[in-house]
Amino acid sequence: MTPPTLTPVQAARLRERQRRLREPTLYLRLGLLAAFALVPAVVPSFQAMDLALKIALFATLVASYDVVIGYTGIVSFGHAMFFGFGAYAVALALGKFGAVTYGHLLLGFAAGVVVSAVVAVVIGAFSLRVKALFFAMITLAFAEFALILAVQWSQVTGGEDGLSPKLPGVFAVGFDAGRILGVPVTGRLLTYYLVLAACIALFLMMSRFVHSPLGRTLQAIRDNELRAEALGFQTFVFQIVSSSFGSVVATVVGGLYAMWVRYVNPESTLGIPIMLDVLLMVIIGGIGTLYGGVIGAAFLLAARTVLPDLRTLSASLAPASEVLQRLSERWLLYFGILFILIVFFFPRGVIGTVQEAMSKAKASRG
Amino acid sequence: MAPSLLEIEDLHTYIGQHHILQGVSLRIRHDAVTVLLGRNGAGKTTTMRTVMGLLHPRRGVVRYDGHEIHRLPPYEIARLGIGYVPEGQGIFATLTVDENLRVAQLSEGAPARERLQHIFGLFPDLERFRRARAGTLSGGQKQMLAIARAFINPNRLLLIDEPSKGLAPIIVEHLVEALSAMKRHATVLLVEQNFAMAQALGDDFYLIDDGRTVHQGSMASLAADDALKKKYLGI
Amino acid sequence: MRERAPVLIAAGLFLLPLALIDPRTYLTLTVAGLAMGMLIFLVAAGLTLIFGLMDVLNFAHGALFSWGAYVGFSAAALLNQRLGWATSPSVVANTLLLLGAIAATVLITVGLGVLLERVIVRPVYGQHLFQILITLGATIVLEELIRIVWGPNDQVMPVPFTFQGSWDIADVVVLRFPVVAIILGIVIYVGMVLMLNRTRVGLIVRAGVENGEMVQVMGHNIYRYFTGVFAAGSALAGVGGLMWAIFSQSVRPTMGGEQLIFAFIVVIIGGLGSVTGSLVGALMVGLSYNYVAFLVPKAAIGVTMAIMVLILLFRPTGLYGAAR
Repeated sequence: MTPPTLTPVQAARLRERQRRLREPTLYLRLGLLAAFALVPAVVPSFQAMDLALKIALFATLVASYDVVIGYTGIVSFGHAMFFGFGAYAVALALGKFGAVTYGHLLLGFAAGVVVSAVVAVVIGAFSLRVKALFFAMITLAFAEFALILAVQWSQVTGGEDGLSPKLPGVFAVGFDAGRILGVPVTGRLLTYYLVLAACIALFLMMSRFVHSPLGRTLQAIRDNELRAEALGFQTFVFQIVSSSFGSVVATVVGGLYAMWVRYVNPESTLGIPIMLDVLLMVIIGGIGTLYGGVIGAAFLLAARTVLPDLRTLSASLAPASEVLQRLSERWLLYFGILFILIVFFFPRGVIGTVQEAMSKAKASRG
Repeated sequence: MAPSLLEIEDLHTYIGQHHILQGVSLRIRHDAVTVLLGRNGAGKTTTMRTVMGLLHPRRGVVRYDGHEIHRLPPYEIARLGIGYVPEGQGIFATLTVDENLRVAQLSEGAPARERLQHIFGLFPDLERFRRARAGTLSGGQKQMLAIARAFINPNRLLLIDEPSKGLAPIIVEHLVEALSAMKRHATVLLVEQNFAMAQALGDDFYLIDDGRTVHQGSMASLAADDALKKKYLGI
Repeated sequence: MRERAPVLIAAGLFLLPLALIDPRTYLTLTVAGLAMGMLIFLVAAGLTLIFGLMDVLNFAHGALFSWGAYVGFSAAALLNQRLGWATSPSVVANTLLLLGAIAATVLITVGLGVLLERVIVRPVYGQHLFQILITLGATIVLEELIRIVWGPNDQVMPVPFTFQGSWDIADVVVLRFPVVAIILGIVIYVGMVLMLNRTRVGLIVRAGVENGEMVQVMGHNIYRYFTGVFAAGSALAGVGGLMWAIFSQSVRPTMGGEQLIFAFIVVIIGGLGSVTGSLVGALMVGLSYNYVAFLVPKAAIGVTMAIMVLILLFRPTGLYGAAR
């Protein structure tokens, strides 16, 4: 019996799927997954879990930003705003406007997603028709506005002090259900795994989106908009869909963040610091490579945890001169310089540079 | 003095990843009008832009009066005496006609003023609408302004890309007259889809297809060669 | 007529608050609003030209604003220390002090601007994302350098003696320094317009804003103009920063970032590459902010955003922006 003949596209996809299973990166990713999952068992301290989960959260956030900036090619500064929407939505649903129940938790997420989707579509429809840099400025203006709104509308948002939501049921801080395999099953632990699972799910969703026909169309649009239009694609609609998708994912990550940190205020969720962090992470990891976010987040967050120790170290080295003191204190200065150097010498980020090196090696071999 | 004013040897130009010019070679005689012919998308405009330095070739050489210019920036190439009239004219709509000419003018003084008078003689409309915003001019007037700008300096080579595009036949006639007067003072490389105009002005031709030069010769011979015209130009 | 429409409509709208505020307060607020507008104009004008000519979104503009303020602050402090010009009652001495501070500011910010343009911006020219990132990085570095040199805390900016206080004109309180700011703004605006419309350099800049490629094809090294415009824009931002410091009587390392958002909004309202657009937009923002801050304090920034959104709805490229 002859096997059914495949169309060229089907044949190509089959080949690709087979290739993917043989690729080493798949096992790298599985290993990474295992690492995250095992942290609470192997290193049960709160700092370790906090660091690991924050890396997971930010990696997902950065990946969602990469969808907008790397895969769709739209420069936007509103991403932190969507993150903040999610955080505030969940915090408000569990706190001021609701009760501490599972239902309200889900409601918070849903509300955040709806608001973000609407805002993303509106801003997109509005401004995608103007010049790219103009659009970037407009998103910046909106993000600033959201920040100021959060600070000033204090009856609702708690102003500068923010909100401290409590989690329901098994995720509550007080929850304790004994031990499994020597690991205490607390609300914290369960929240950890829920958030981690959600991050992984979001990540996989984005990966499928990017590799789907829709995703590939977007990349075609990013690479050559005129040509894509000539081929009949309504680039405008695609761009709105994609940027809204990225924004909505960011919102969900924001909600998850609120669940883990249980403290939401303008500075930490809506402000420029988050946007800068995301930018730095996406650039370190590599634009247009979803997994770059993992490296970028890991690098930045790990560095931040180590920095206070470095600071005390350097302070003890030069106690006399005040200028030197200040120089060692101002680690942000070095980050700024690092930023610039990375943009100059490694514009493709870690993963991008590796990819480029590998493809050059392949080209010279083949 | 080199035998040809402009020499292009095996030019390969990429736009992004697209290999647009895949081996263009041509030689332009002094004081002649050479016409670049070919289908849409064949690479004629890309060739012009490469000569002007707006694109840098990956391979190949462009020589102007014996000097290699393909690695120079556009403003240096312009100052060597090459004037460019792009497709779509490239005039500054928010500036007046006078200001457009002044941007182009690289020298002051009596000879410059004389040239300006000469240009006004060829294009009286430009003098009439001197103080008008260039954006308010008609299509034909805009084209005249674009050509005038390239001619206002004593350029030895003029690169003119599809001047007749979108213009009424009577304006095209006027253009042919003006360009015929100009060709006495400069060498011209002309891209033109309007074959009648090409024939009226051209001395030599080069046919470009798929980014390569496929044919060359005198305009007269092409006019007589129906098979060639049909194959590459569809006429 | 079409061009004058926005100005006329805006002018009409700004007489509206007279219905809600008594005339004397209205006048005081108007002066304050015009002054604030002028200072924002200084920042926005440079930004819009840099944007229009070079297609560069210059985040470092805010850092130059801060640097201008701090340099001027130190220069003023030095001049006062040595010559006592800030505390003397002589108008001449105080004016010289101000001019001296402005001169120091211009000198340093022009230098910084040239350095930034050559080293930071030009290498990534044409790549929008990287250019945004790199100017952000430069902003961080510049802001941190301020904290290192001058210390991280807010400091009080003394106002030179003759510019303190106010005049009492027919029962209307008119603060002195805002008037100085307004005069300076008008002088600079007129200077810029003359420069753009009557000089060859200005001609080429205007042509370049419209089509940079063609300007090059006509034999001009547009990169030199880029450096010049960037440096000029930086100087404007710096002077704006200095004036703002005196206006608000304080210097803060973050002051640039705070005002930059206003400048961005004004550039959006006014349109890319238009100095007049920046002026009109800035005055609109300054006036509306002050009127609304008086009536409903928390809504002040909201009104600014609302204006921006309205303008975008009707003229997506800004009031005086060219449709690109």
